[in-house]
Amino acid sequence: MPNDKNSQKIVDIIKNAARKHSLFVLAYGTGCGAIEIPPTMTSRYDAERFGISGMATPRQADVLLITGYLATKTLKRVIRAYEQMQDPKYVIGFGSCTINGGMYWDSYNTIKLLDKYIPVDVYINGCMPRPEAVIEGFIELQNLIGEGKAEGAKKYKDNLDWYRANQRKVIKNWNMPDYNW
Amino acid sequence: MMREKATTLYLGPQHPGITGNMMIKLKVEGDTVVKAETHVGYLHRGFEKLMERRNWLQSFTIVCRICVPEPDPNELNYSRAVEEIEGREVPERAQWIRTLMMELSRLASYLLWFGGQNGSAGLYTMPQWTVGDRDYILDLFEELTGGRVYHMYIWPGGVRRDLPEGFASRVLQTMDYLEKRLLQYDQLMFDNTVFQKRAQGIGWIDPAKAIEWGVVGPPLRGAGIKSDVRIDDPYLVYDKLDFEVPTQSGSDVWSRSLVRRAEFQQSINMVRQIIDKMPEGPVYNKIPNPMKWNIPAGDAYVKSESARGEFGYYVVSDGGNKPRRVHVKGPAYVHGVTLLENILQGANISDVSFIMNSLGTCPPEIER
Amino acid sequence: MTDNNLHKEQQIVDHLIGTFQNLSGKVKREKRVEVSIEKKQISSVLNYVKDHLGFVHFSHMSCVDWIEDGYFELVYILWSPKQKVQLLVKALVDRENPSVENVDMIWRQVNTYQREIREMYGIDFSGMKGAQDFILEDWDEIPPMRRDFITDEYVKEVYFERPGREDAKDVRETLVKRSGEEIPDFAKKYSRD
Repeated sequence: MPNDKNSQKIVDIIKNAARKHSLFVLAYGTGCGAIEIPPTMTSRYDAERFGISGMATPRQADVLLITGYLATKTLKRVIRAYEQMQDPKYVIGFGSCTINGGMYWDSYNTIKLLDKYIPVDVYINGCMPRPEAVIEGFIELQNLIGEGKAEGAKKYKDNLDWYRANQRKVIKNWNMPDYNW
Repeated sequence: MMREKATTLYLGPQHPGITGNMMIKLKVEGDTVVKAETHVGYLHRGFEKLMERRNWLQSFTIVCRICVPEPDPNELNYSRAVEEIEGREVPERAQWIRTLMMELSRLASYLLWFGGQNGSAGLYTMPQWTVGDRDYILDLFEELTGGRVYHMYIWPGGVRRDLPEGFASRVLQTMDYLEKRLLQYDQLMFDNTVFQKRAQGIGWIDPAKAIEWGVVGPPLRGAGIKSDVRIDDPYLVYDKLDFEVPTQSGSDVWSRSLVRRAEFQQSINMVRQIIDKMPEGPVYNKIPNPMKWNIPAGDAYVKSESARGEFGYYVVSDGGNKPRRVHVKGPAYVHGVTLLENILQGANISDVSFIMNSLGTCPPEIER
Repeated sequence: MTDNNLHKEQQIVDHLIGTFQNLSGKVKREKRVEVSIEKKQISSVLNYVKDHLGFVHFSHMSCVDWIEDGYFELVYILWSPKQKVQLLVKALVDRENPSVENVDMIWRQVNTYQREIREMYGIDFSGMKGAQDFILEDWDEIPPMRRDFITDEYVKEVYFERPGREDAKDVRETLVKRSGEEIPDFAKKYSRD
């Protein structure tokens, strides 16, 4: 791998250090977990000292924070927002509903394993995770970026057919635009 | 050649200005909204179907996640409905502790609302202050129940455990701190000319038709009608406490803000009275064997006053160990769909988010 | 509780029994009154209690599926702010061809409740206007809140199982199988059999 820790050139080290210290999170509260994001971003557990702040449009955001469960109706919009985001982009799965379905494991409308639909880089577990746990998750993502291992976007492009097959099984009316990179 | 004057905009699920995850389809001509249509369903989990497959006691653990900013009325209403169908007595001290939890939860919800209302107008200092202050109340919750946001503390038969030592003095310290902060919020929000000019005259509801349209809570009291479930249909120990129900007569966003500020002060007084008057005694009326607990057949509709209005639960039992039907009605069910579509006609497009916040629209309880 | 306390509730029940045929009612407790009517009387009873008895606030509308007896039960919950009494109006709808009249001209927010019940149970409210999809999107199975929709089979077919759950029905049995230990004595008291 060209971006591996052992074979990183000086350009890669500077590039990764710049990327990891300014992560812009898309302003999208997709589920329950969105109630612990304001305490993380405001003055008590200040996440802005790490360079994390909010951003309004997908075209200019770096991180997609999936806060909790996803109904199938929201999954369609999340896929569209994810494909509109430009490289380099990362996905954080927040809460235990993204890991194995959580307490909605037998619900007819929520998806169970997020990793089969969009690629996830870091999971934060808990129901709800505390703000300190959220910040620890972001630091884990920063370490992965520094070592060059946060390659979720590349995995999506390489295995697009597999992801599309999984998504189409759940989303019945597929009228989404085709973003060709 | 005819040109269409109206454009369709989607104030969509991904937007920094909406309260939660819902979509409003707006038709605008220039700057004025001509027609609005709400689309919900982005957060649907099928709670009622989930509860039909779980015991009575297992259902109590998932109920608090129906309404995300204010989870305590859910636990309270579920427990009260089960107790009413079965005829179970709740000890006196448990009723007082339940009232204390409800009032603290009301304060936390109002603080979050102060932040949201100002954030949607572009005044970003208030969210920083109030979300930070709300954390002091969440610290109290964490000491008492173990969780910051979802407590799972009020269950059928009482509450789970007694207050720890020194808890009462910490509650009173937090109340003193919040009362001093309320004067600072006055300087920043309520005496602020910018907020007053933004809020006066916006989002008007006709007071003569308000009850018929199903308006409840602070929007109804902002229209001059004195109606509160705590005095109309008293529950818990509200008939032993001394409090007022404030009303304003303007029926616009400014009046609703003033009503919420007055209720904030009343809640602080109520918490002090509760700590003062709480009796001793047991806190839990024990259920014999939770796995084999059958409730006799019957149904009940209970309601309580949450920070946003009347919260109702309709529970039906058929004599078994699982609920037959649990149907939840939050205050945003009416406020967020028919009322919002009505008020937004003729509004300026930059006020849409402002009006949504003043009605207290919360999508998770519209579609559960 | 003496009879004097339930005086106004009993008056309401007697008045309604005297005005409509085939109506039965009772007083459940203080401030709670319940009546059962036939499905063709729904709009006339609701109009009457709103105009003449002061039940102007529409609290809730719900539906219960009694599949063993073959009918749906529609429940309308009303509140009177002046007299402070809550009224439940119950009507039974046949399960084979469920069709009821539309009452959203009396209170306009009833439209939202009816749209949800139409989507979740499949009851047809004749003459109601309103977009078809309310909460679910592109749903082509039977209405999901009916008792004959089995969620287990649907979830297994469409979604991925969580790892470790494919063969396990009871978590304690799986743990015993995997670790080789016995269920301890204190846990045997709360068993499901």
